[in-house]
Amino acid sequence: MKNRLKVLRAERDWSQQDLAARLEVSRQSVNAIETGRYDPSLPLAFRIADIFDMTIEEIFLREEEPRAD
Amino acid sequence: MLYLVAIGIVGTLKLTDAINGPTGFILLALATGLLIPIARQRTAGCASKAMVDYNRRVLVSSFGYALGLGIAVTLWDNYELSRPVVFAISLLPTLPTFGVIWAMARYLAEEQDEYLRHRTIMAALIALGFVLALGIFWGFLEMFELVPHVWAWWVLPVWAIGLGFAQLWQKMRDA
Repeated sequence: MKNRLKVLRAERDWSQQDLAARLEVSRQSVNAIETGRYDPSLPLAFRIADIFDMTIEEIFLREEEPRAD
Repeated sequence: MLYLVAIGIVGTLKLTDAINGPTGFILLALATGLLIPIARQRTAGCASKAMVDYNRRVLVSSFGYALGLGIAVTLWDNYELSRPVVFAISLLPTLPTFGVIWAMARYLAEEQDEYLRHRTIMAALIALGFVLALGIFWGFLEMFELVPHVWAWWVLPVWAIGLGFAQLWQKMRDA
């Protein structure tokens, strides 16, 4: 799943390790989520959203546009 | 790495008959001590607390395995044992390997980092595929008398080798 983590992190001048420490996860986890190799669980997605003070939808992007029906 | 080298040296000495059985098992048990620094890693490093606990449990089980195997083989080689006693001594190396399996299960239950847990589960599944594929292939090769018989306890070391390769591949991919 695509996401804006890298951009949001850069805006705050946080390293992957900084974000990992805030989320209480490993740096590998942040790297895997950021590069789209791993989709976080809903609880972790909410924690990420809380840290950036945003909603999940503002950070994680849909792969396809929803059908208009 | 040092542990693998030590195991290789002990194995070579044993295969070339440079050392006898009990000496080999004592050296094997002593070599397990080389894993102590890994088991004492602190969470400040790259390992999570669950991984540190896992390493400690595997270290204790490995030491028990080397000791149990040494005692069992020595008794088997030197004494005429009744069937119940043989059953009992076969448990000496078996029970510590159950400890390794239990340690793996506890790690998956205790790991708080969901990505690390996911990665370990994927590596374990790759290792399972590896041991199943190799076991089935070897079984038919053995049935048609192309390869020698292999004892069933090899499943755990082969699975562990598969796990190691899978984790190495994951580490290279994540780098």
